[in-house]
Amino acid sequence: MNISLDLSTNTILLIPCVILFIIGCFGLLNSKTIFNSLFSLDVIDTATISTFVIIAAFPGSQTPIIGFERYSSYADPYPQAIILTAIVIGFATQALLSAIALRLSRKFPLLRFKDLENDK
Amino acid sequence: MISNPIIFTSLIFIPTITGFVGCIFPKVFYKIGFGILFFYSILSLVGYLNGFEYTYHLINKEGIPLSFDNYSLPLIFGSTVVIMITFILKSKNFSHYFYQICLVLFSALSISFISKDLVSLYIALELTGFCAFLLVADRNDSRALFNSFQYLIGGGLAMLIYLIGVIQAFTYTGTFILNDLINAPATSLCLISAGLLTKAGIFICGVWVPNIYSDSNTQSTAILSGCVTCAAVAPLSRMSVILAPIGNSLIIIGILSSIFGAIFALIENDDGRTLGWSSVSQLGIAMLSPTYGCLYAMQHGICKSVLFLTLNKNQTGTIIYSNNLNNLEINNQDIEELIRIFAFIIAGLSISGFPFLSGYITKLLVKSDLPNEALIIFNSSALLTSGVYVKLIISRLNNIKIKDLLRKVFNFLRLNLFNVLSSKNITLILVSFSVFGFSFIQSKYFSLEKIQMSFITLLLGFVFYLSFMGIKSNPSVSNVRKTIDIIGAPFVVAALLLANLTYLKIL
Repeated sequence: MNISLDLSTNTILLIPCVILFIIGCFGLLNSKTIFNSLFSLDVIDTATISTFVIIAAFPGSQTPIIGFERYSSYADPYPQAIILTAIVIGFATQALLSAIALRLSRKFPLLRFKDLENDK
Repeated sequence: MISNPIIFTSLIFIPTITGFVGCIFPKVFYKIGFGILFFYSILSLVGYLNGFEYTYHLINKEGIPLSFDNYSLPLIFGSTVVIMITFILKSKNFSHYFYQICLVLFSALSISFISKDLVSLYIALELTGFCAFLLVADRNDSRALFNSFQYLIGGGLAMLIYLIGVIQAFTYTGTFILNDLINAPATSLCLISAGLLTKAGIFICGVWVPNIYSDSNTQSTAILSGCVTCAAVAPLSRMSVILAPIGNSLIIIGILSSIFGAIFALIENDDGRTLGWSSVSQLGIAMLSPTYGCLYAMQHGICKSVLFLTLNKNQTGTIIYSNNLNNLEINNQDIEELIRIFAFIIAGLSISGFPFLSGYITKLLVKSDLPNEALIIFNSSALLTSGVYVKLIISRLNNIKIKDLLRKVFNFLRLNLFNVLSSKNITLILVSFSVFGFSFIQSKYFSLEKIQMSFITLLLGFVFYLSFMGIKSNPSVSNVRKTIDIIGAPFVVAALLLANLTYLKIL
């Protein structure tokens, strides 16, 4: 079986994002405390956002202004505009989760999942 | 004039505005919000019965497509009814900003029902998730807070998986419109549907459902079970109509979910958790048929919220559950409790598909839409469901002496009938009778053979329950509460779907 990897520039650009995503998932699935999972979720969030930005920059990385000749290969503004919402939602999620962590830390100062899951 | 896009768009956002202004003037806007919900329920019901369909693009021709059709209208009706029932029955137990959150939740839900755009859907689902989080955290003890934490982190991860799928589809299609997903590769479809399935709580993605239902306030649970899990049903149905491979895989996921959920419901000790697993099973059935899935989810949502609202015994001051009735007199509270029991039984029978109730009709509609191979498994899941509800009804009617009680109640009602008519009782009776009444709209589904079949299913369910009664799970065994299960489930389901789409090709 001949597996040929198509290593164009676009694919190489996406590899760090995929690695970041995998690191985040690994952290989320193996975290022992609430704080670790909170940070891991942020890492996954960053990976998703950078994937959007890089895919939008495939056609070119210039500012999308039409009318001048030097702006010939411009980036797609549509995904970049849309990902702003996702960034804000990510921040909102982090804020809510931190508030919950603050409340839970009064009863469980170490915030370990082991203690919280066995709480009766 | 009526089909002006501006009117429809503002109709969606009026509840949110009412909710936010209601934070400043709580008492006035409670009534206004209730009135708005009532108006919407009538509007959506009339629209559905007349086959109203209207699709438009927001702002431009290239804008966001929104559509009011027979996928979204029943779900809008269902969520208004659920929120209204909760408002009437539990308004005294509301904490600060409870009804305001409900109104914002309703807006988010209606956007997720009507939008055909993947990014708007993402935003609406996230807003729904935040509102549901606030509703769960309303109880404010450490267990409820931890459950809401699990829900938020699981839901956030699922939506990020969904976003990755969306951007992969974008590189192939060039738009974010749901109908253009035909050109998208299999991986992106799997990621998108895994995210949606987690939000709907189907199959192993639904591990969070029973935890949250058993550990939050009654009013929050009613709203969560009635509307929040329905949020992802409409887009999933739309997707499975357009995309044949996803439709075929969802049949498998739905069947697995219905069987798996019902078995877990049977061996559960706590009644709240039983209802949660049953919800997983019922939404799995709703996944089976794309055309009637929304209707099924609507019926299930209303009945399930009534079940949750009347589940707990109101033991302070009622003499119904006492052993010796002869020397005691009945008062208004007992009548209220009896009406609650009546509503509980009607709603339970409706979900298990008893004839002349609305669940019977929706079950037949789903059944008529299934391929022949799936019918036998559908029947066995119906059997398991009726077993679950027989169990619940028997545990609700535990230690009540019906014969003495009925005589006393009859005497009491003859003397003072009008004192009974409080708003709570009237609502519960109305809901129970409308569950009856909606079944008669489509009278063509009543044939002797089908009625016989559903009776037999219910009887077999009773027998099944009797044979199952001895087997009870060990109370010392802890339930599924691990965070890793909730977080890992979307990955497993995405992998399963991908394997099915690329290698296995079942059905």
